[in-house]
Amino acid sequence: MLFQSQGFILVFLPSLLLAFYAVVGWPAGRQWVLIAGSMFFYAWWDVRFLPLLLGQISATWILALIGARLGSRLPLVVGIVLNLASLITFKYLDFLLGSIEAATSITLPRAGFVLPVGISFFSFQLISYLVDRLRRDAPIYPFRPFLLFVLLFPHLIAGPIVRHHELIPQFELDPRRAGGAYRFGVGFVLFTIGLAKKVLLADALAEIVDNLFMREQIQALNFGEAWTAALGFALQLFLDFSAYTEMAIGIALMFGLLLPENFRRPYLATDLRDFWRRWHITLSNFIRDYLYIPFGGSRKGPARTVVAVLASMGLCGLWHGAGWTYAVWGLWHGGGLLACRAWQRVGRPLPGGLGWLLTMGFVLVGWVVFRSPDFTTAASILGSLSGYRGMRGTIGSPKLIAAAAAIATLLPSAYEMKDQWLRPQPVVAIATALLAIYCVLVVGVGGPKPFIYFQF
Amino acid sequence: MIEPFYEAANRWVRSIRKEPIETTWARFSCLGLTTFGGGVAMVYLFVLLVDPFDIIPFSLPIERPIVSISQRYMYPMVIRSRRYDSFVIGTSTARLLDPERLDHLFGTRFANLAMDSMTAWEQQKVAQYFLSVIGPPKVLIVGLDLVWCQRDADRARVTFRGFPGWLYGDDSWSAYLHLLNTDTVEIAVRLVGYRLGVYPSRMRDDGYAVFTPPEDQYDLARARSRIWGIRGPGIRPVVPAVELSAEQRAALTFPALAWLEGLLEQLPATTRTILAFMPVHVAGQPRPGSEEAAFEQVCKAEIAEIGRRRGAVVADWRIPSPTTRDDANYWDSVHYRLPVADHLADQIARAARGYGPDAEPTYRLLAGPDPSDRTH
Repeated sequence: MLFQSQGFILVFLPSLLLAFYAVVGWPAGRQWVLIAGSMFFYAWWDVRFLPLLLGQISATWILALIGARLGSRLPLVVGIVLNLASLITFKYLDFLLGSIEAATSITLPRAGFVLPVGISFFSFQLISYLVDRLRRDAPIYPFRPFLLFVLLFPHLIAGPIVRHHELIPQFELDPRRAGGAYRFGVGFVLFTIGLAKKVLLADALAEIVDNLFMREQIQALNFGEAWTAALGFALQLFLDFSAYTEMAIGIALMFGLLLPENFRRPYLATDLRDFWRRWHITLSNFIRDYLYIPFGGSRKGPARTVVAVLASMGLCGLWHGAGWTYAVWGLWHGGGLLACRAWQRVGRPLPGGLGWLLTMGFVLVGWVVFRSPDFTTAASILGSLSGYRGMRGTIGSPKLIAAAAAIATLLPSAYEMKDQWLRPQPVVAIATALLAIYCVLVVGVGGPKPFIYFQF
Repeated sequence: MIEPFYEAANRWVRSIRKEPIETTWARFSCLGLTTFGGGVAMVYLFVLLVDPFDIIPFSLPIERPIVSISQRYMYPMVIRSRRYDSFVIGTSTARLLDPERLDHLFGTRFANLAMDSMTAWEQQKVAQYFLSVIGPPKVLIVGLDLVWCQRDADRARVTFRGFPGWLYGDDSWSAYLHLLNTDTVEIAVRLVGYRLGVYPSRMRDDGYAVFTPPEDQYDLARARSRIWGIRGPGIRPVVPAVELSAEQRAALTFPALAWLEGLLEQLPATTRTILAFMPVHVAGQPRPGSEEAAFEQVCKAEIAEIGRRRGAVVADWRIPSPTTRDDANYWDSVHYRLPVADHLADQIARAARGYGPDAEPTYRLLAGPDPSDRTH
């Protein structure tokens, strides 16, 4: 079930809110309502994946419990291996077999597993909990809140990646506590803004971008088309993913829960480190805490830093998808972060405008590799982007691109809106409601389209 | 910059209301949710009452002309009107057959249900729906195009436009789930506009509409450039011509022909069925001697055989002929002009009686009744 589908907006969400607030004074009851709703939400995609999800959660919790009872670290390591094994089996097995086959010319069979939706997100959350247990930085939670921590439907499929200590303590808090009406109202507005970004902008951009990347397979794009494809995808990806995040944060707020911020207007970044502090913030934090620092971070000499950055960002790329284009995208950013760090050490900051241009150019090249199905396509589009094939053509759908760019850069982030911008004015409530109605009607034509990050 | 003004305005609003901010947010949420819920309910109720596709049992009893060119959505309404006892199906090459002319020729009440880029699967769905609502037609004209001979017809069943099966009786209850969208709202508003006299109907009630440009805008030079494209005029046959072996012919399958035969099987002997290959310009036909031409001949032969088995007339205008060779008869390589359509209707009526072309060899009769049998 997609957040922007009519079934979700008009039936599932109102029903769950009613059930939740019917038992709001009973902490266990409202948690079970959310657990049941989340299981229904997940099973709507494919009920076959529900046992896998519940199995991973239960195994992780039991192993953590055994580790605590025995005072042993072994069960925690087993839990990490189990979660990684599940992720690798479902997401990377065929990719690994294909890579081995390409390297050795030995024909290997393929597993052909269907990718369980959200597996990268929930596996990472479970692994982070076990690693925190190893670091003695996480308690043993009762099973019910632990189950809900992973299952909670707003973040289950595509994040934000939530850490146990950020969410589990909130389950005990009464949603009617001070600020309840504020949270509900802001949640409604954030959900609607995300809905509009997804339905009116990201989906419209997707049609243009998909067509151009498909056409590239037949005939090289010209200069204008290549820029349209690259800019269009950069904007589509941000609007699509940030829309999902805003809807997730908005829904959670309506249930009295606060999810972490995931974007802070990343296309205003003036250097690459700044970009990663603004883009997919929860993933950046995860990579910093669970990859970069364990790999050595920046405190064990320059050589170790280079290895830590490249390994972390390479794995970050592979987290997005089982393909070498993703790995190269990660390494591209790793190299960029190292160059940025080195330049900042020199102590001669670039003028803001120049820094922004360089950063956006760098990011744009990365997105072309990220979106391309193979390196041949990526190289061809980058060639056209650079003017290698001439400067023919103009930017397609300029009004849509301009509107998307304006929204991507000028619209405050979810947290900025929540904390600084939103006011309880009647005109805002009515405008939000009318926008939501229009989006619901637009979604009704041809049905909702999945979010890009669902495939990761 | 704006922040201080916001703050001041809010302080002012709160001081007037003398209520805590939490209450203001509660009012905000109530107003937002009420507007949203009420708005959705009102829009849905409006669509249900106006009922743009005439499928809701309790909708307002108003006249519903065709106010949209979305044929796949509007034509079920033409069938449900029960005003017609005969129909045409096909692609855009059959759309210009005027039902009023056909009525005069056949003595029936025709609807033209041919649609742009209509696949064979869609055509048989429309025909089946006609049968389920009205029963066997008096006359059925199938405007045949290559869609019936596509070898992947069972995989490519619908076009990018989609096909609203819920309007064709697949699941009438699910219709309620398909009515809340901008398209249906737009059509409902147009219907209201029609009632108020500010919006015209887009097609005749029998589904007929002239989709080609006005005849007085016809430009032969432009038409020629569209017909022949950059390759320039002239047909260059493939030499030596491809000849299919018996094994190759036997291996050819045309999945849509099973649907065609299944449809004809349901028709009683009283239904007059004409399977008519439409007159595409020679530039739009396969090159003589090519593999495509050989495949097409096999397909035509199979359709002729189906016609013979099921008592249908099969006539072929999709041949090189004085009509299809003359550029001045066409807007492009597929679409003929209005006068051709009128002449074609006359010829279809003639072929239906078992006669070949009267003067010029514009069509071939592949299967049909004995002309001496004048029972029809």
